[in-house]
Amino acid sequence: MRQLTTFIQKEFMEVCRNNKLMICTIVFFLLGIMNPAIAKLTPWLFEKLSSSYEDMGIILTDVKVNALTSWEQFYKNLPIGMVVFVLMFSSIVASELERGTLINILTKGMARWKILASKGILLLVMWTGCYFLTYGITYVYNDIYWDNAIGKNLFFSALCMYLLGVWLISLILLMSALANHGTGVALGTSVVFLICYLISVIPNVEKYLPTKLMECSQIPFGRGTPDDFTYAIVIIILWSLMDVMIGILVFNKKNI
Amino acid sequence: MNILTLNQVSKSFGSKQVVKNLSFEVPEHIVYGFIGKNGAGKTTTMKMILGLVKMDEGEIKVNGSKVTFGQNTTNQYIGYLPDVPEYYGYMTPREYLKLCGRITGMEEKEIQKKSDELLELVGLSQEKRRIKGFSRGMKQRLGIAQALLNSPKLLICDEPTSALDPVGRKEILEVLSKVKEHTTVIFSTHILSDVERICDEVAFLHEGSIVMKGTLAEVKSLRKGTTVEVECAGSDETDRVLSLLPGGKRVSETSIIYEKTNQKRMNEMMKVLAEHDVKIQRIEMLEPTLEDLFVEVVSK
Repeated sequence: MRQLTTFIQKEFMEVCRNNKLMICTIVFFLLGIMNPAIAKLTPWLFEKLSSSYEDMGIILTDVKVNALTSWEQFYKNLPIGMVVFVLMFSSIVASELERGTLINILTKGMARWKILASKGILLLVMWTGCYFLTYGITYVYNDIYWDNAIGKNLFFSALCMYLLGVWLISLILLMSALANHGTGVALGTSVVFLICYLISVIPNVEKYLPTKLMECSQIPFGRGTPDDFTYAIVIIILWSLMDVMIGILVFNKKNI
Repeated sequence: MNILTLNQVSKSFGSKQVVKNLSFEVPEHIVYGFIGKNGAGKTTTMKMILGLVKMDEGEIKVNGSKVTFGQNTTNQYIGYLPDVPEYYGYMTPREYLKLCGRITGMEEKEIQKKSDELLELVGLSQEKRRIKGFSRGMKQRLGIAQALLNSPKLLICDEPTSALDPVGRKEILEVLSKVKEHTTVIFSTHILSDVERICDEVAFLHEGSIVMKGTLAEVKSLRKGTTVEVECAGSDETDRVLSLLPGGKRVSETSIIYEKTNQKRMNEMMKVLAEHDVKIQRIEMLEPTLEDLFVEVVSK
């Protein structure tokens, strides 16, 4: 247990001292601010543009915005945060393998699974913090300017996207055990995501795939219910656990 | 008792066999030189001893316990200094030793005590900077401190002096000589003067196999006394020696080398020189250097 807590501490020290924590906080803070800001600025932007549209023969009537406009932005901007997160942390294990920093640690008797577990815990805490920072900022501003009550199952739909991030983290861990370079990890994670996305065009298969959770952004608008996502949620949780277990088994037998 | 035993160990990477039926033993409390040119299989052998690389065949025992690949429990007896030790550059030396100490299961007080002791030993006790600003030599010295932190029975050093300047090399060799009292040191290198300076026993590794091993004296005695050097008082005397004792090779104005000779022949040579009253400054049976042996071994 001491090995695990020590290595988790080391991971947190690393993200603090190499500024990754600060960069992530800034990115996700800005994403959170952007959602209500864009919604708030939309009528003003349209007003500014209306004269030029009138010249083209298009007449703009008053644009109405509410909390849902801001939530729509939330789900549009979130993939940016996810891409930044994956790129920033895809080499979390690979960089140590490339530089050889794990050799000293392993020859001190560190259990290999604890290395992967520590990295997984750090990523999970970072993702949870960053994600709910964006969610919290959007939620609070929406409540101040408009009324969140207009959206249905706001927290559930946000939780679905959060789970998608957790699944990506599990893929990063699995790919880290399989690949030796950060690019391989980022590429492997992206390819699995893309394959799921492409398979989801097949009718009846889509509801079982993790990528189905991207549709949860429609729940607040009343399009779809939480029940529609049950299979995808169960699958994504099992898949994530499987990724971590296979990752540990592979990492235990990796030549370092 | 042997602290390390390798029995018929082999390893291939793809079709290339890097270690072939390697067998040797290392007794306790000595400095064991593991000599070979680059690519001879030294690092692979060391990584197999540490359980970091899987061996294809054979058995390795450390302190009587079998080495297993992956989760290797025998690492508790070992301290390892890689050829280029890499650290978390954002930590200070003390923070790094604390991390290592906790991982290896030491008590906080013990970590503190050993860190003070070892940082003093390697000359980094006053260093408050983070490791990323360290020179190669400082990193190597910190490497020794981390390797010795858990008082290992076996210290494995992979070419610890190869990348250092003469001052750095001297410092590392001094530290390794000092720790011999408490631990056994295996020391891989291709710098033979380092081996002569601190090693008790040596093994020559060539293309994955041991081609020569034994104590430093034993290995040297394999080629003992085959060359005699005669240094004369002047150039004329050198010419005289060459006419009286043909077969020599003039290597300088006043020096002649006689190869493939022996003690009896040297005595005869001295007798001839004395009879003819030749003025010589020195006559010496040359000790074979490790370099000669190494070149001979690898060129076979």
